[in-house]
Amino acid sequence: MHKLLRAGVAFAALPLLVAAVALGSADRAAQASDTLVFGASADPVVLDPALISDGESFRVNNQIYETLVAQKPGTTQLVPGLAVSWSKSAGGKTWTFNLRRGVRFHDGTPFNAAAVCANFDRWYNFKGAQASSSASYYYNVVFGGFKNPGKGLPGRAKALYRDCKARGQYTAVIRLKRVFGPFLGAMTLGPFAIASPTALKQYGADKGRLTADGVYQPLGKFGTPDGFAVGTGPFKFESWRVGDRLTLVRNDDYWGEKAFLRRVIFRPIADNAARLQALQTGEIDGYDDVEPQDIATIKRSKDLKVLDRPPFNVGYVTINQAVAPFDNLLVRKAVAYGLNRPAVVKSFYAGRGVVAHEFMPPSVPGYSKSVPKYPYNPARAKALLRQAGLTLPVEVEFWWPTDVARPYMPNPKNNFQAFAASLNKSGFKVIAKSAPWRPDYLGRADQGTAGALNLLGWTGDYADPESFLGGILRAAKQFGLENNPIGTKLYRDLDRALAEADQNKRNAMYRRINNYIMQQVIGVPYVHTMPALAFRKNVVGYKPSPTLNDVFRIVKKVG
Amino acid sequence: MLRFTVRRLLLLVPILLGLSILVFLWVRALPGSPAESLLGERADEQSIAQIREQLGLDDPLYVQYWRYLETLAEGNLGTSIATRRPVTTEIRERFPATVELTVAAGIFAILLGIPLGFFAAKRHGGIFDNSSLVLSLIGVSIPIFFLGIILKWIFAVRLGWLPSIGRQDVFIEAEHPTGFYVLDGVLTGNWRAAWDALEHLVLPAIALGSIPLALISRITRASVLDVQNEDYVRTARAKGLPSRVVDSRHVFRNAMLPVSTVIGLQVGLLLSGAILTETVFAFPGIGTWLQEAIQNRDYPVLQGGILFVAVIVVVVNLLVDLSYGLLNPRIRLAGR
Amino acid sequence: MSVAEVEVREVQLEAVGGGLWREALYRLVRNPGAIVGALIVATFVFVAVFAPLLAPYDPREQNLALVAEGCCPGPSRAYPLGVDDLGRDELSRIIYGARFSLLIGIVSVTVGLTFGLLLGSIAGYFRRLDSPIMRVMDIMLAIPGFLMAIGIAALLGPGLLSVMIAIGVVNVPIFTRLMRGSILGQRENDYVLAARAVGVPGRKILASHILPNAVSPVIVAGTLALATAIIDAAGLGFLGLGPQDPATPEWGTMLTDTVRYLQTAPFLAIFPGVAIVIVVMGFNLIGDGLREALDPKLRGRA
Repeated sequence: MHKLLRAGVAFAALPLLVAAVALGSADRAAQASDTLVFGASADPVVLDPALISDGESFRVNNQIYETLVAQKPGTTQLVPGLAVSWSKSAGGKTWTFNLRRGVRFHDGTPFNAAAVCANFDRWYNFKGAQASSSASYYYNVVFGGFKNPGKGLPGRAKALYRDCKARGQYTAVIRLKRVFGPFLGAMTLGPFAIASPTALKQYGADKGRLTADGVYQPLGKFGTPDGFAVGTGPFKFESWRVGDRLTLVRNDDYWGEKAFLRRVIFRPIADNAARLQALQTGEIDGYDDVEPQDIATIKRSKDLKVLDRPPFNVGYVTINQAVAPFDNLLVRKAVAYGLNRPAVVKSFYAGRGVVAHEFMPPSVPGYSKSVPKYPYNPARAKALLRQAGLTLPVEVEFWWPTDVARPYMPNPKNNFQAFAASLNKSGFKVIAKSAPWRPDYLGRADQGTAGALNLLGWTGDYADPESFLGGILRAAKQFGLENNPIGTKLYRDLDRALAEADQNKRNAMYRRINNYIMQQVIGVPYVHTMPALAFRKNVVGYKPSPTLNDVFRIVKKVG
Repeated sequence: MLRFTVRRLLLLVPILLGLSILVFLWVRALPGSPAESLLGERADEQSIAQIREQLGLDDPLYVQYWRYLETLAEGNLGTSIATRRPVTTEIRERFPATVELTVAAGIFAILLGIPLGFFAAKRHGGIFDNSSLVLSLIGVSIPIFFLGIILKWIFAVRLGWLPSIGRQDVFIEAEHPTGFYVLDGVLTGNWRAAWDALEHLVLPAIALGSIPLALISRITRASVLDVQNEDYVRTARAKGLPSRVVDSRHVFRNAMLPVSTVIGLQVGLLLSGAILTETVFAFPGIGTWLQEAIQNRDYPVLQGGILFVAVIVVVVNLLVDLSYGLLNPRIRLAGR
Repeated sequence: MSVAEVEVREVQLEAVGGGLWREALYRLVRNPGAIVGALIVATFVFVAVFAPLLAPYDPREQNLALVAEGCCPGPSRAYPLGVDDLGRDELSRIIYGARFSLLIGIVSVTVGLTFGLLLGSIAGYFRRLDSPIMRVMDIMLAIPGFLMAIGIAALLGPGLLSVMIAIGVVNVPIFTRLMRGSILGQRENDYVLAARAVGVPGRKILASHILPNAVSPVIVAGTLALATAIIDAAGLGFLGLGPQDPATPEWGTMLTDTVRYLQTAPFLAIFPGVAIVIVVMGFNLIGDGLREALDPKLRGRA
């Protein structure tokens, strides 16, 4: 009897189940037509723009929040954002921003000069954990210091920011303490986006504590998974289940052209092969940082396509001058001649890389056309080593990172092995060393304790030479430039260029710096790559930004 | 039996203490330190030194361990560097996913492994025996993540039968009162969600269950072969008992003893394997979380997460040990 | 068989002294499965020893020109198993890989088995030591194995040896637990009680009665552990804890590294994978033969 009953129930349930599933798929198609599912590599850290520094946080925050100065989608060209125009005082230290009218935050409060100044003042007043570069990395890098951050943190003396005054409702005047050349470029950075001051206060954005582990833990609800994120952007925060999905919904009251998509869902998928497969099955509509070996597979598929992100990075080999005999220019030149850069670029980048000759890509102002070049030449390298009075082969400790993939080194192991082989043919004897990228490898590289040569790379944050040369070369110990005449000259020149108000003069200064770097062979840049994104063919309008400021507002789904 | 149980429960205290020491030392054995992790990729040396001091990383180990114990005593497992959320919150959100997955994988391995091993032994040396050997060897020789990718390639990409990532389709609206998605679907009467959650479990469970499957079937086979030649089995057969009765009453029951040890061991192996499996399937459980923590060197997560997993394994193993006594009357007798 | 019969038989065996092990060996070399297994293993050992004579190319010699059009050209006459993503001959790498992979598998499993059998036997037989040993094993077992291996390898510093030790140590609690469980099962068996009744000393009972019976699940698990050891070593290598020279040919790494080419050059994964499966099968067959040879109940049936 019981058995019969059970069988009956099962039979009755079966068609119901099938119907439910069938209904589900029709439903799914309707929803899918105006929802974009994006395969991210991880969750964002937080939805408070001032406290982010990683690419995945940028991607999401940039849809919710907007900056004063924006970039034309797909380029680094500056265009009006929340400010419609701006001007600089004669001395170059005061910036006046004329703000867009009629803009409202997602919570309905108005966007105005007071709101802008509230944000600038909030950042300047960060204390303790929030002021540490683990939280506000970009503020630290650009603005240098805080009003009263507490013990051991960069204070007023180092600060670039003086104050922000609202002149009327729609004019914000920002005064700096010194001239800072890249200021406008830096204002396009996501971390300097404007959040609703009301919401910041209401949801306790600045309430947090430093835990015993040294982590800044927000105690309020601003920007947290179960909390709120309130900006002016074309999308509003809807929900976030960590590890699973984060959903944004269209802001129907957006001040400009409204988004085509009703929803954007970000799904964190750490594994690269898994992202590709999810794209192939249609579970996601697109993903970033496609690995070179998958490009051909995607291009072959009739449903998928590859998009190019304009090159804005550099892969390089550092040479630590503090390690003998690399204090000798002849030996450094031998390294440059001994690295088979064309072979590496050709073999491992699926046609998406070009050989680099400088530490910044050609699109950045200040790129020099006259740097010395060092084509692959093993014989020349050996001759230089002999000229330096060394017996061949010269032992060199060469470090490479494990457990990492970056657009400029999709597979560091292969780059390393090819370089090691070419150096071994050029009079060197490579001693291989490896360590996990974070924190071991980077830690050692930063302290200058990772042998003589390291594989590293950099992606620029904004279109200014400082974002490359400063970011890369100011890590003095990586290059053994501490207390070294070459370093002294380099840093003096970099600081001067930073404080120059005239952009043309600045560019000329950077060209000279680039020449100097390559004359002295401070390191060997070897590749600029064009990172790839993959999408299903029915996604149109996506314009990859060189600086990761991708705009989902202009994306739509067809068919 | 009661005394035995009480004694084992009391022993939990030193075990947990030992675990906390081991996990504490484990984290410190890794090169680098939380200071570098906290500051991210572009940290400078000065701020690292600052944080080291702030965190007391230069204090003697026993001082650091004592501090660690103190926070543990508050029920505090720390705060994730990557997400800035309490580790306990993350465990609460993610653990149900892992339980669901490991249970599914365990069921798969046991339900398939025991009969496979049993029949291989019954047809000792035959084609079935040999092919099950080859299959289980392939099972253990393929890395889990590899198997996962191949399974997805066939069943998700090519055939389109099953989903390849996550626990639930993004377009399914569902309530999650317990966090166990299949159960949630059933409880809320949302059959579509329950079915969908089940579909999401199939491939990861097979990938994760492959090594335990191989182990269980091999051990079952060996153990059945052993028992078959025991005197009492021979006697039973000689007495003319039908072979089905002998198999089920004598052979199977006695052969299950080592198999149950192996199954008990699987809890640890499954949780360990979940790290790789979940990552390949973007399954939002403890495994993906720990994998990311290894990559980011998220020390609080590693420390708290591993301790949590370890405690679970200890407790489950304790239960296995206690049930062992129930399974084998001879041990129970000896325990008195 | 009655208790009395067992008694007589065991006592007779004792008189021979160590005869059981000798007899087991005798039966092992006559087991067809074990012979096939031994042949397989011997072949691979031969390949490993004479790799320089057998390999057509230097396993580390790159030829980037071969992969300029993408990874990777498949098998051809010049390269019977194709080339890898640095244009290195896959066949030569598999041949040389036998050296490192056999070494990794055998050493780490031996480390695990030695300590596992020892500790497991002690725990299973000497009741007073059971609890302390098993509680320590519980602690070790509780940490997910791979993470445990990471910690040990990190502590010992990167390198092949520390990887082998780390994986071996991780296996210790597994073997210990298996051994102890199976000894517990045997300890109260009739023949043991009988042997004890006639006054055979404890150590002898353990060595010639209980061990041979109890060891079989451990042997099975041990041969399977060989495969996982090779794979796990590759995993540790991926985290930078393995051999520092990435050019080292080694099956596990060759297999795991090529996951990215699964859609474009699947042969890169298949060949090292097959090599691992065959070697493990060889050991497994030997293990199986050993298990049968040691089974006292099968004695005299050969």
